[in-house]
Amino acid sequence: MPQSPDLALAPRPAPSILATLARRNEVALLICLLALIIFFSLASSSFLTPRNLTNVLGQASLAMVAGVGVAIVVMSGEIDVSIGSLAGAVGIPLVTIMNMTESLPLGIAGALLLALVVGVVNGYLVAYLGINSLIATLGTMFIIRGGIYLYTGQRSIPDTAYLEEFFQLGNGRFFDFLPYPALISLIILAIFIYVMRMRPFGRQIYAVGGNPEVARLAGFDVRRVKFICLVISALLAGVAGILLSSRLGSAVHVAGLGFEFQVVAAVVLGGVSLAGGVGSLVGVALGVLILSFLSNGLGMLNLATEWQLVVTGGIIIAAVAFDEFKRRNQKQ
Amino acid sequence: MFRIPVTLLAATATIAVMSATAVQAQEIPERIGYVVNYATHEWYQNVIKGMTDRANELGIELEVRDANQDAARQVSAAEDFMSQGVDVLIITPVNEDGVVPLLRRAAQDDIPVVLEGNPVRGMTTMVAICDYDTGYHAGVAAGEYARDNFDGQARVMNVGLPLLSATVLRSEGFMDGLRTILPEAEMVHDLDGGGNPDRALEVSSAALAQNSDINIIYGINDNSAQGGLQAWKASGRSQDGLLVVGTGGEGLGFINLMATEPAYQIEAAMFPEKVGYTTIDAAVSLFNGEEVPEHIVSPTATMIGDEWQQYYSVEGTTRSINWENVNAVPAADACMKTAADL
Amino acid sequence: MTETASSVAPPSRLRALTGNNEIVLIVILAVLCVLISIGAPQFYSVENVVAILRQCALVLIVASGMTMLLIAAEVDLSVGASLAFSGVVAMDVTNKTNSVLLGGLAGIAFGASVGLFNGLVVTRLRVNSLIATIATMMILQGGIYLYTREAVQNRHSIRLFTDLSTGYVGPVPVPVIIAALVFIACYVVLRHTMVGRYIYAVGANEKAARLSGLRSERLKLGVFVFTGMLVGLAGLLLASLMNTGQPTAGRGFELQVIAAVILGGTSLMGGRGTLIGTLLAVLVLKVIDNGIIILRWNQDLQMIVPGLVIIGATWLDLVRRKSDAR
Repeated sequence: MPQSPDLALAPRPAPSILATLARRNEVALLICLLALIIFFSLASSSFLTPRNLTNVLGQASLAMVAGVGVAIVVMSGEIDVSIGSLAGAVGIPLVTIMNMTESLPLGIAGALLLALVVGVVNGYLVAYLGINSLIATLGTMFIIRGGIYLYTGQRSIPDTAYLEEFFQLGNGRFFDFLPYPALISLIILAIFIYVMRMRPFGRQIYAVGGNPEVARLAGFDVRRVKFICLVISALLAGVAGILLSSRLGSAVHVAGLGFEFQVVAAVVLGGVSLAGGVGSLVGVALGVLILSFLSNGLGMLNLATEWQLVVTGGIIIAAVAFDEFKRRNQKQ
Repeated sequence: MFRIPVTLLAATATIAVMSATAVQAQEIPERIGYVVNYATHEWYQNVIKGMTDRANELGIELEVRDANQDAARQVSAAEDFMSQGVDVLIITPVNEDGVVPLLRRAAQDDIPVVLEGNPVRGMTTMVAICDYDTGYHAGVAAGEYARDNFDGQARVMNVGLPLLSATVLRSEGFMDGLRTILPEAEMVHDLDGGGNPDRALEVSSAALAQNSDINIIYGINDNSAQGGLQAWKASGRSQDGLLVVGTGGEGLGFINLMATEPAYQIEAAMFPEKVGYTTIDAAVSLFNGEEVPEHIVSPTATMIGDEWQQYYSVEGTTRSINWENVNAVPAADACMKTAADL
Repeated sequence: MTETASSVAPPSRLRALTGNNEIVLIVILAVLCVLISIGAPQFYSVENVVAILRQCALVLIVASGMTMLLIAAEVDLSVGASLAFSGVVAMDVTNKTNSVLLGGLAGIAFGASVGLFNGLVVTRLRVNSLIATIATMMILQGGIYLYTREAVQNRHSIRLFTDLSTGYVGPVPVPVIIAALVFIACYVVLRHTMVGRYIYAVGANEKAARLSGLRSERLKLGVFVFTGMLVGLAGLLLASLMNTGQPTAGRGFELQVIAAVILGGTSLMGGRGTLIGTLLAVLVLKVIDNGIIILRWNQDLQMIVPGLVIIGATWLDLVRRKSDAR
């Protein structure tokens, strides 16, 4: 590892994995997740089956993929709330192109191109025009959703190409075991954990989010870093949207409504500070899994929606409060 | 007096037979899983009530999971049911195209699926009301009302919901029905009220300010009708010379409105309890591998004035359905128009 | 950070008007009104103006509190769910007691207790307010259906209850008067009292404020409770307007309110913002919403145009500030 001045800016250079682990809030999250799993296993006989556990990994994959992107943006000191609208929007070029060309790769290319355009717009507005990211992405969130409605006339676009690959992408299982969306999300997660921990770009993100002034003095291009983060976030929301579209077998105009709330909740639950500069993708993954297992397990218990909402809300508060409590104790 | 088109009468017998006698010789499924679109809404509350009643009668364990209007959550919930191995799956699609892969996966697992509400490509059977027909008959009734009370003038504000094909069909049906009586009837405003009472009120207020020369408010559900009516009242207008037509008969709301608001005279009732009841019967038939029609129609009726009392009784804050009269309401064997025609 | 300094020490009236992005909003509002009225003269009808103001009233009441919260560097996303819930409570209690006063107080007290809960979670448990209030939103959305399965109907038929939203004093609708009173009270507190200065100070730099002896947590708690009360008040008005307590109401209301507050120039980082800006932004957003219907445009534009305006106005403000700095 080259000794450069930016190392001092990185919050955690990761010396011994065990030592860092003990100090990290991931442990608290892991305990929380395990407690949930144990509880649901005792409470419902159909919970702890390989099929159900892999199902949940598949269900979690959408928030996982998008969550990685949003987490990176938040770590860089910004936020992206346009991901829900975008995840819904990419289905339109995907399905339209597939219906015309009978080619899944072309459809995916079209979907990612749309995501790229949105990411560039978001990134430009925030990083280069200096518009607050919540305002900018709230704006694009409304614009994209309105655009979907306007373009589709508030109708979904069915898949008429019936490509087997398209069905398998969101609904098939790798070796008849792990759902493909889960596999894809784990690969993406692994890549970005590597980037955030081992690559200079990861350190730049932490530095820019932690203190942009200092980061600039250290020679980082703050604007460029934020721009790239927002583009990555949009692309990953695009990937999530492609998986969603496959699971829905169509481009659904209401797809992804409220998705941004779920993802932001998971990211913050995962210990990423909205102030920027702090957090880890392992934590984010745990945050996503906690919410997904909670939703699955509460369903298994046949709990009515109203109770599910109350319990989920209560657990989010409790988990974040516990995390904060731990952090404060460590500081003292 | 509500009118029953002759075509509807013929179909009555088949449905009545199916729900009453066919069950005895059948094997009863142990567990049925229902993925509902939006469980906290009054409409679905009453659908679930009807399902539960019927499931209890037959000794079936009914489990309900709520998609809460989230298409992705719906897929997850159905997935959970399939991995738990329910005998039959019932789905009210959040979006009709969005459950196509689910049907295929259920077929792979040999789990029969009954759709409620909206038709889906590749489905075996669906239990649903006819949205277009429901609006149509209410439109006919509104036309007669306007002919008798408004000198044949019919200028409509449609508090609609373009988001769903079902609600679009209702509005279309209403106007088409109205025009059979009054060909000159005009839709002055075609609004997106979001299906919510507060949003419906907001857009209706603006529309009434733009052009208030209307005398009929049509709401695609009870909340929308109420929002339109409240906007009318809030602008200080009298209800003389106004007719409000609601759709759904979802809960207590419309009963209260018909009792207290002079303009609220017509309700296109859709008997959610009956929908739930019929759906369970369809699930049992499917479980037994019987031939079932692609579309099992659940009946609707146009209620004028206090006719709702034939079907419901109210005590405090609960309404009870009069099964005898509701089961006697005829259902069509096919809809005049469906989402496929849009 | 010159804005922070000038906000803490109240500047002259003129500076106050031009010191933020209010000029941009006034221009946008004027342009909108002119363009819409060219396309549809009914825009200026008394009925339409009243309809717009009545809709503005609900949003403005809550946005006044939200502005204070954002200035104090906190946010409340539970206001939509709380709006519906307090309306249900207000209607229910009025039904049971036959007293609009008790019903109204119950609604406001409910809103305040939601605010208290949010405030305690944020200040005592130190949970970030964005996530805390998303959680509260979920709890309330679930809780409201545990409280009532159906819309709570008006069983008392007390005239005063409906007059709260549809009545007039002279030519002015009652909810507009209520909103104006709330707005003026908030304006005075924020601009002319120590509490107002403390709110700016805590939002701008909490550590510094605490070091100088400010009890920042108690202050924030107070602002949460106050915002909650205003939500309760708005819920009461909504219940009156709908003539029912509707559990399905208020969906997306939090985004409307927050969009208005940030369009009004209040910083999400705290320490900067004005109520005048919020007022103008509420007007801009509601005029757009209304104008699209009045002009008979496609209602899908009701999402697209506000999105463009929010981004555009923020950008114009940035440009203006840069040229000012030169």
